[in-house]
Amino acid sequence: MTSLDDGPLAGVRVLDLADRSGALAGRLLAGLGADVVLVEPPEGSALRTVPPFYDGAPDTERSLFFWFYAAGKRSVVADATLVARLAAAADVVIDTGPPGATEALRAAHPRLVVAAITPFGQRGPYRDWQASDLVAQAMGGMLAVNGHADGPPLQALGLQAYHQAGVFAAIGVVAALLARETSSRGQLVDISLQAAVTASLEHVPGMFHQSGIVPVRQGTLHWTRHFRVGRCRDGWVLHCTLGDWTSLLEWVKADGMAADLDAPAWEEAPHRKAHAEHCFDVLDRWALRYTVDELHEGAQLRRIPYAAVRAPEALLRDPHLADRGFFVPIEHPDLGVTVPFPGAPMRLGATPWRTTRPPRIGEHQEAVVAEWITS
Amino acid sequence: MLPAGPLAGVRVADFTWVVAGPVCTRILADLGAEVIKIERPDALDFGDRRGGLTGSLMRGKQSIVVDLRRPGGIDVARRLALAADVVVDNFSARVMPNLGLDHDSLACERADIITMRMTGFGLTGPDRDQVSYGPTLQALTGYTLLMGDPDGPPAGFGYSYSDLAAGNLGALAVLAAVWRRRRTGRGTRIDLAQQEALASLLGPILLDRAAHGGTSRATGNASQEGADAPHGVYPCAGADRWLAIAVLGDAQWQGLRAVIGNPAWAAEARFESAAGRVQHAPELNRRLASWTRTQDAEAAMAVLQEAGVPAGRVGDARDVCARDPQLAARGHFVDVATPDGGTVRIDGPPFLLSDTPAAVRGPGPLLGEHTDAVLARVLGCDDGEIARLRADGGVR
Repeated sequence: MTSLDDGPLAGVRVLDLADRSGALAGRLLAGLGADVVLVEPPEGSALRTVPPFYDGAPDTERSLFFWFYAAGKRSVVADATLVARLAAAADVVIDTGPPGATEALRAAHPRLVVAAITPFGQRGPYRDWQASDLVAQAMGGMLAVNGHADGPPLQALGLQAYHQAGVFAAIGVVAALLARETSSRGQLVDISLQAAVTASLEHVPGMFHQSGIVPVRQGTLHWTRHFRVGRCRDGWVLHCTLGDWTSLLEWVKADGMAADLDAPAWEEAPHRKAHAEHCFDVLDRWALRYTVDELHEGAQLRRIPYAAVRAPEALLRDPHLADRGFFVPIEHPDLGVTVPFPGAPMRLGATPWRTTRPPRIGEHQEAVVAEWITS
Repeated sequence: MLPAGPLAGVRVADFTWVVAGPVCTRILADLGAEVIKIERPDALDFGDRRGGLTGSLMRGKQSIVVDLRRPGGIDVARRLALAADVVVDNFSARVMPNLGLDHDSLACERADIITMRMTGFGLTGPDRDQVSYGPTLQALTGYTLLMGDPDGPPAGFGYSYSDLAAGNLGALAVLAAVWRRRRTGRGTRIDLAQQEALASLLGPILLDRAAHGGTSRATGNASQEGADAPHGVYPCAGADRWLAIAVLGDAQWQGLRAVIGNPAWAAEARFESAAGRVQHAPELNRRLASWTRTQDAEAAMAVLQEAGVPAGRVGDARDVCARDPQLAARGHFVDVATPDGGTVRIDGPPFLLSDTPAAVRGPGPLLGEHTDAVLARVLGCDDGEIARLRADGGVR
């Protein structure tokens, strides 16, 4: 029985066979209320060996890497025979095996929606090549536009190739479930890490197709040339020359630091964009007299989209996120600790984002077999 | 003619602008939804609306120009919203309520309406009215600071990854709400705070801080998926050519050694284990770079891949859009016919559905291209009413 408060995908059964490259897909579907069952070998998922570990001690029940992706999922230990029986009862299978690995499964179960996440997709000349998150970012075009101009191309923080693949896989799965309502047939959702990255660039393909422009990496200077990071008294701040320029200029002028920026030409955004380096150089000299918080708060009062350049841990102390209950306390009784888990990426009405304690190895063996197979 | 998509029959009233919102609704359009873009008379764009950056954001949508500063325009906007299944915006929190287009205002007439509000900070909380763009949110969530060398200045994101991250997650949220409505007949109010969407994608990094406290360190190009080395981006022959190499495991290290000719230094015992390789990563990186400098990036990529070592050239726009045989084989970029008989090249959705394709269903619309058609088809306006609305200035 499911109730309306169980999440929009309540009642959808997902068998999660994914490695770390596809682990977010099941996490997202679980957050939305699907019953996601993670299949593990007897020694536990390989994700359990990835650091960091709680209190630093390597242990299959202490990997925070595993915790993040497995929260909200249930765990069974299954061999090929049990996997086949579970697949027969599932609506969705998420797999990260090599191209073609799920063809037999799809043939045996025409109603099954199969998301296959591979480095480069199911077909094409690179289909059998290997990737990692870094390699997928390189091949997809993300690395080339990040980093300082005089340094190497730079990866994104936080495995974003894997994460975009996971998001697109979840999108494809729900779309395929909707299609199945009318066709009564499942289908293959073919996800390529590389293509997921290419689809998560902002300006790169469009500018090339429009004008033949090849965007380059230029540090924190945004491609629109309206944002750049600068130093201030106690850290770093993001300058922005969009929004209420007049208010920003009045502030800088009042401090006697506007240099030539009070010339009328600077009132026009295209001028600020064309001469962005000079504009930001002046603002950098001005910002040195302020703290991060003074600049962030002062700018927001003036409706200027400045931002503090913060570390992730600042989110844990952010009063706004606390007010919204972004972090969800999850108790880990074996370790006697309660850890605030990062919560919902989005909130769907009254249905909560499901974040339950990451499972122990095979913790839900009997329950899943009873619910999925024998009932 | 493309087969109907999974969202055939779903109508979206699209009030979005800039990037994050249009990214969300372009995926709905790819899936076959009827997406009606309600645009300002002075709508921003990035140039060519058919193709290019704007075209790739607007692909497959219809454009009606509505002046929300005029009562007649607000009335048309409300009628379009009530005729839709899904209403999407990415304005600041207070804009839609001020126009009478928020969830509560619409749900009293359409109980099953799905509203998707993509704000910077969410619909509640003390920061709900703060102003933000993608780079602002990347700075606030830690990406900007932690991308770069551990000892160098921040180098985070040269573009608004946040807009893509939030837009893609937003499409997932809408799909889940459509699924729920088919099951229960109920609408959904979706509150997507882009700051939270981006924070959630920090993954284990944020959970580590939550569990242990402590201070985050910039990652450079070191592995974020388990400790091993060498792992990084290495200079190759030619101007600004680079190769990403990720050794994750002993087998890949042995594969790399063989490709570079089994030099004596690589056989040293201190490099045998991942822990040893990580400990000596700076030295490994130097030695590997001295090999890559003499190599063509694409040739070295192919040789390493044949040896089972994950390697990929750092692709710039030309590499990715015009020279990559793999993306071409997937049909990632498509030539779309425009009404004037030409074509534009647009990037398509990266997820391939085998039976009901997600696909580019048309070029970007010109501003107001479908104003009359939408008024007639969706609102049932006759020619006289359309003329009156145009004369009033509420639509263009």
